[in-house]
Amino acid sequence: MANRTIPRLLQTPAVLLLLVWMLVPLGMTLFYSFIRYVLNSTVRPEWTTPSWSNWRGFGNYEFVLNSKDFLFAIKNSLFIVGSILSLTVVLGVLIAVLINRSFPGRGIVRVLLISPFFVMPAVNAVLWINMLLDPVLGLQGIAVGAINDMAAGMQDAPLVGWFFNLWPVLEPISFRATQTSAIAVIMMVTWQWTPFAVLIFMTSLQSEDQQQKEAAVLDGASRWSQFRFLTLPHLGRPMAIVVMIQAIFHLSLYAEIEIVSRGNGNKNLPYLIGEFTNNNIGAASATGIFAVILANIVAIFLLRAVGKTLME
Amino acid sequence: MGSIVLDKVQKKFGDVEVIPPLDLEINDGEFVVFVGPSGCGKSTLLRMIAGLEDLTAGKVNIDDNDVTEVSPAKRGLSMVFQSYALYPHMTVRKNIAFPMRMAKVPQDVQDAKIEAAAKSLNLADYLDRKPGQLSGGQRQRVAIGRAIVREPSAFLFDEPLSNLDAALRVGMRLEIMELHTKLKTTMIYVTHDQVEAMTMADKIVVLQAGVIEQVGSPLELYHTPRNKFVAGFIGSPKMNLIEGEEASKHDATTIGIRPEHVSVSTTEGMWKGTVGVAEHLGSDTFIHVHNTGLDTGEGDLFTVRISGDIAVSHGDTVYLTPQMDQLHKFDAQGLRIA
Repeated sequence: MANRTIPRLLQTPAVLLLLVWMLVPLGMTLFYSFIRYVLNSTVRPEWTTPSWSNWRGFGNYEFVLNSKDFLFAIKNSLFIVGSILSLTVVLGVLIAVLINRSFPGRGIVRVLLISPFFVMPAVNAVLWINMLLDPVLGLQGIAVGAINDMAAGMQDAPLVGWFFNLWPVLEPISFRATQTSAIAVIMMVTWQWTPFAVLIFMTSLQSEDQQQKEAAVLDGASRWSQFRFLTLPHLGRPMAIVVMIQAIFHLSLYAEIEIVSRGNGNKNLPYLIGEFTNNNIGAASATGIFAVILANIVAIFLLRAVGKTLME
Repeated sequence: MGSIVLDKVQKKFGDVEVIPPLDLEINDGEFVVFVGPSGCGKSTLLRMIAGLEDLTAGKVNIDDNDVTEVSPAKRGLSMVFQSYALYPHMTVRKNIAFPMRMAKVPQDVQDAKIEAAAKSLNLADYLDRKPGQLSGGQRQRVAIGRAIVREPSAFLFDEPLSNLDAALRVGMRLEIMELHTKLKTTMIYVTHDQVEAMTMADKIVVLQAGVIEQVGSPLELYHTPRNKFVAGFIGSPKMNLIEGEEASKHDATTIGIRPEHVSVSTTEGMWKGTVGVAEHLGSDTFIHVHNTGLDTGEGDLFTVRISGDIAVSHGDTVYLTPQMDQLHKFDAQGLRIA
């Protein structure tokens, strides 16, 4: 027993630090979520300082549950995360398989493919929404305008003119609008995180057993069958890892949502917390606790689905 | 049917010629073993027959059909790999079913064949396990099962027993031989282990640096090795090769005598030497004799094998007498003198 004391003592500072870092914010959030606490109130100035005497019970939770954005934020969170996960995994597998073959300039292509991952989220959002997706100044506006001009120019051409007369004039899409802002976020985050999936799948592909493939060739498996029955199962584990890590990150998306539409038509729980924090700290804390619960529910489902693959 | 004819097949990796043009005939139903030191091109040759490796030149004929340009799957050959190459995410049943599934064989035929293969290979209890839960020997049997259900015209084995421990290797060796007597299908077996070659083969092909040194039955190779390389490679312990003065007495550049064809005496004999290491196996004793005054090449080592046991220990003086009718003679090119 005695010889264990010193190692434990040496561990103590680190463990304590971790505990403090975790427990203090969680405790404070819990505390704030049960009291009335606002940043600014001329009517009830006593609510501007946190204190036990402002006890509100589950009032903050009720307030959050009844607010119009809460359910929408949860659904939208799940929609965004689900879309990004499926897109990055599918694109990641396809690109990884593609660049796993040898071709000239493979090294450069790989480096370029990884580079989106090094762009900061806010920068990524600004670049996409202003330079690519903007309906007037962005690549999208320019491309749509060019297609329209071309179609207009071709309407008098012999033989094919009738076809271009049927051509509808295309309208560029505004990605800051209520209906489309979530799509914009999904696009930019997918662009940013696909490289991560590619990187992980590529390393996994390189560890694939070549003799198994040769055996499959002899067994009469086509390229598709080899992919379906050997490569895809081989990628099961890295897929699980990509899904888990990304789920954790994307449940807390913020910068992209803020920059694209300031939450217009596109909210998630962190964004809702941000909105409440403008004044109502109590409600923000209650939403925070909901976010923790949502994250845990997602984690349980993921672990169920993914854990099996990891255990094997 | 499964006769395979190699016609001047050649393999180059870039500028390196791994296999110079080579001819070989394998008859239907034969058990042929390719044997040679590592890097001699025996696996490459097998992979060329399987179609996994392109030919630089030459032709491969199976049953009188030129299959040089035919895809591996359509050649009607099954291969068993050294690493087993089982599909790790499928159960044993699915592994065995895989080639039939790819060929779109009806489910009831598949089930019947899997059942039969599992029964003959003692895998019936493991059909629903995954390869990771099986021992090495069981995995190898699954690989063989996967090869059998295709009913190939020939089986190709690429060092299938190298990953097994010694006891299991002997057992699997017997199982493969029994399989051959039962199926009577052509089998080509690659190994670097000359014991496997001797015990299993109808016909042994000895390869060195991509060149066939000799083709023949195990006993032909043992009794009349065509050259010095085959003489040294076949047989265990290795044949003693003696050069110099002693060889010229027999009008040869090199003479060879197998360890089992030398008698040992503590009192008198033709050559005198001191005992180095004696390996007592119970049934046999291998004695390594030094200082014989014979030119046996580097290491000055002469090995003797005697039946039973003999009371000699390190440093003892012994006398060796070869059986003259078992002497092999080789000329300056290393070829056998009749």
